[in-house]
Amino acid sequence: MDFLSGRMRRRLRGAPFYLLLTLATVITLVPIIWVFASALKSNKEIRENALALPQEWRFQNYIDAWFGASFDQYFFNSIFITVASVGLVLFLSSLAAYSFAKMRFRGNQLIFFVFLIGMAFPLSAKLGPLLSLMYELNLANSRFGLILVYVAGSLPFAILMLRAFFQGFPQELEDSAALDGCSRFQFYLRILLPLSKPSLMALGIFVFMGTWNEFFQALLLINEDSKRTLPLGLTAFQDEYFTDFALSFAGINITAVPVIIVYIMFQRNLIEGITVGSLK
Amino acid sequence: MAQMLSAPRKRIAGPRFRIDLMPYLFILPAVVIYVIFNLGPVLASFFLSFFKWDLLSPTTEFAGFDHYDFILNDDRFWNALGHNFIFLGLAVVIPVSLGLFLAVFIYEIRRGRVFFRAALFLPAIFSGVVIAYVWKWIYHPFAGVLNPTLELVGLGAFTQSWLGNPKIALYSTFIAYTWASFGYSMVIFLAGLQDISTDIFDAARVDGANFRQKLFHITIPCLYDVFTFVITLRIFTAMGVFGVIYILTGGGPFYASDVIDIYVFRMIGNFEMGWATAAATVNTVIVVCLSTGFIKWREWRSWTS
Repeated sequence: MDFLSGRMRRRLRGAPFYLLLTLATVITLVPIIWVFASALKSNKEIRENALALPQEWRFQNYIDAWFGASFDQYFFNSIFITVASVGLVLFLSSLAAYSFAKMRFRGNQLIFFVFLIGMAFPLSAKLGPLLSLMYELNLANSRFGLILVYVAGSLPFAILMLRAFFQGFPQELEDSAALDGCSRFQFYLRILLPLSKPSLMALGIFVFMGTWNEFFQALLLINEDSKRTLPLGLTAFQDEYFTDFALSFAGINITAVPVIIVYIMFQRNLIEGITVGSLK
Repeated sequence: MAQMLSAPRKRIAGPRFRIDLMPYLFILPAVVIYVIFNLGPVLASFFLSFFKWDLLSPTTEFAGFDHYDFILNDDRFWNALGHNFIFLGLAVVIPVSLGLFLAVFIYEIRRGRVFFRAALFLPAIFSGVVIAYVWKWIYHPFAGVLNPTLELVGLGAFTQSWLGNPKIALYSTFIAYTWASFGYSMVIFLAGLQDISTDIFDAARVDGANFRQKLFHITIPCLYDVFTFVITLRIFTAMGVFGVIYILTGGGPFYASDVIDIYVFRMIGNFEMGWATAAATVNTVIVVCLSTGFIKWREWRSWTS
């Protein structure tokens, strides 16, 4: 290979990696592309040739799917529950993390540890009593109740992540703010939060994805159609239309597209949220 | 001077023991919600597993170890737990090594890193429900993509009912799980790789190390802690797998892909709260022991080596 220039050789050395990555990407994306393509076909086309591309793009499937189930209601529920949960998690966890990271008080370590162990339990560990509690509090079958459950579930990780981040803040910053007559709450609101925007963003997107996609607890706590979130609504829709292939595919896409859009917009923040939590 | 400083404090009752309430006020809302809706139910689940309780009637009656006696003698329980362990065994090998290799490949290339990372991570952003339905259609006997593709490439002999065959249903669900989870391992490994000093790789290149030598003598040892985290994450997801299996097979056919969380969910649906909470507690103990044991073992190994 002496006749190749150094630059060329360097390029060729990367070739096997590009080849393997391209192969892996194709295998990974084919199922998604296939589902999107199938949603544009007619039932007859799907039945006769599942692999072929759509002959004509039938966007009607999406309209039929949307009106065949209460997708607008599921959508609203998912957005309401997710946005409220993310907002609450960010507010409560940043308050608590500030206290854990920067204030000295009796029980600091212990209470923080109590939050941490919340991450060690599998989801099923709380389901029975949770269901009973929600009925007792009249919060079963309620969007508000689901929000509280989601917030409680996300708090341990959120506090762990933000505490680590706040600990990196120089103490001088707080001291000088205090000298200027800034109370701790003002410091939190006016200085700490604005300076933590990237971290809050990463955490927020991470919590958004987890909440938007959550299924197990929603399945347990919600059984009224008008209160279903998108994942829950999709299962109901699929149960009803499983024989209508094209509509089923369209239903999957209606559920998947918002996540893809959020992912394209906030890809870096999401991956930062995942990796920051894992490496620190 | 000391007197001057202490004088104003004396006006407030109990000068020495005055507790600064602010830190507690800051954590209070989080603590309240966390205790009521997360930690409380977990602890209640543990205690209630020793009581007779059916969710409908408020009365409880001490049951001792009756519920544990039942589930530990229930073949279905061991069947489900066994499947979780099969899942775990596969999950610490397949998605983790896939993630590692893809991360290394992405690290090795110059252009297109962001694209490949984003594209390969894509399945990981979906709800288990979406993942399950995508695969339910892939596996569909005739409207699916898998069987026709196998026939197309001359492997028609391998076509079958991927979710209906009790021998392979569990593994079919595992493939869907892998599709959705290798991306997590990949992005975490990639972040770990980018934390390794490039000097080491440069030195290795100068010494003429090949790809395999770099992988086994630099990359993997340097990612020791990242491996610990990635595998711990797999312990949690494999022992707590629910949505994908619930939708793909519902635990069937004939409990051939049943797992603990579906077992617990079924028990709750039958108002058998005693058995449900006992099974959940056993699973919790296993998960906590496995994860902390694994982490401690990794720490101990890194100290001794």
